[in-house]
Amino acid sequence: MSDDRLTHDEWAKAVRDGDLLGQQCDECGAVIGSPKAACVECGARALETVSLPTTGTVYTETTIGVAPAGFDGPYRVAVVDLGEARVLARLEGDAAIGDAVELAGVVETDDGDPAPLFS
Amino acid sequence: MTDAQIVGVGMTDFGVHERPLPELFADAAFEAFDDAGVDGPDVDAFYFGNAMGGQTEDDTHLAPTLASHVGMAGVPCQRYEDACATSSNAFKHAVRAVEAGQHDVVLVGGVERCTPATGLETPAMTSVFATAAHRQYEQPTGLTFPGVFALLTKRHMHDHGTTEEDLAAVAVKNHRHGTMNPRAQFGKETTVEEVLEGPIVADPFHLMDCCPFSDGAAAAVVASEEVAAALSGTPVGVAGVGHATDVVPIADKAELTATQSARDAAAQAYAEAGITADDVDVVELHDCFTGAEVLAVEALGLVDDGEGGTAAAEGRTALGGEIPVNPSGGLKAKGHPIGATGVAQLVELTEQLRGEAGDRQVDDATHALAHNLGGDAATTVVSVLEVVA
Ligand SMILES: [Zn+2]
Repeated sequence: MSDDRLTHDEWAKAVRDGDLLGQQCDECGAVIGSPKAACVECGARALETVSLPTTGTVYTETTIGVAPAGFDGPYRVAVVDLGEARVLARLEGDAAIGDAVELAGVVETDDGDPAPLFS
Repeated sequence: MTDAQIVGVGMTDFGVHERPLPELFADAAFEAFDDAGVDGPDVDAFYFGNAMGGQTEDDTHLAPTLASHVGMAGVPCQRYEDACATSSNAFKHAVRAVEAGQHDVVLVGGVERCTPATGLETPAMTSVFATAAHRQYEQPTGLTFPGVFALLTKRHMHDHGTTEEDLAAVAVKNHRHGTMNPRAQFGKETTVEEVLEGPIVADPFHLMDCCPFSDGAAAAVVASEEVAAALSGTPVGVAGVGHATDVVPIADKAELTATQSARDAAAQAYAEAGITADDVDVVELHDCFTGAEVLAVEALGLVDDGEGGTAAAEGRTALGGEIPVNPSGGLKAKGHPIGATGVAQLVELTEQLRGEAGDRQVDDATHALAHNLGGDAATTVVSVLEVVA
């Protein structure tokens, strides 16, 4: 296994520090918002870890009314378009599709898994 | 290569069943056996779908358990898990095995319980369903499955002007169809106003935009053309099956409103069947949420892109309209016991092509299409059935 393949553990630590990590493919240039072991576009394993922009726009969003066990609704979830990639995130405030948002921290599950929080 | 045919179908009522999975499944399997004119010992293999039994019922390795329960112990069994596309994936593999001459007669089926009869109330079952989302990059946001389709649908509303009233019209249509299906979980009509007054599950979906939690089972006997000719069941031909997947998670998908796996699976199924969308007479598609039907009618080519929103409101997809969609009531009104849903669609379409669908019969239907989607539209299986000449 490659030493520099981005792991979920590294991604989680970074996002808690305000650094949203993604990957860029050395072969085709694709930028990937959710870390993988190979490029989703071309399958190449040569992925470089990059810091994604922490500002973007709301691509789509929803307000969850009926939440899973361990979550208290209502809360908002959004796909945020960062230009070169998209990420799924919690959304606070009233931003609608197309509105500008920025990384404002993380929300943590009871299991200690973070999700990016945009506002 | 030979052709595969469906020679027998059966399903339970969908709703609440306070019964163990083997007992529930046996009712569907025996109905399919009797319809086909076979019994357990005539069946060469079992292709089985159950998505969540390990999580919901502490029940795994179910395929040989069910085979033993219905008189076919000893046959090769395989169990599929593909979220909501579970039993149509089983169907695909059953069809390919028969076409290849591996088996002559196989049983395909699915069973699932999702209601509080399992002991799990809505928050716990919502959590189980949410496990089909990406464990690291989706689940920690608190995304639910209504939420997944809400994200796709909100983008469609933004791009094409689809309204909450348009979505509600899908529920109204499918509830109306469901009143004509004695096996449907919901047997009563609803109105746009009633849908819009319901509580929000995941914006824009109100409670009545969402399919219910359901228990149920469905089964089909698939046989080679040669063997089917010797059986008493009225055969329906399997003209084509397409199966495609898309990138996981949602945020990495190139397009959110395309449901690309459905477009790819449909293209495969149409090509194998030698038809186009215009040749399809009746459709059962995966309306887990009203917005899912809007995306699916576009992905399948039944209406042009951007027209899915208004298709139900304009009556185009109703019984008597230009292309009847979900005459059974769909997942919305008939119910959605996850692992049984794909085969239940085929039960309805087999009855439609035989002319046995009663009040909801589509006249002179010769080609029928099933669209069964799993996860965040990451999996879709599309099957085309046809009348045997
Ligand atoms: Zn690449």
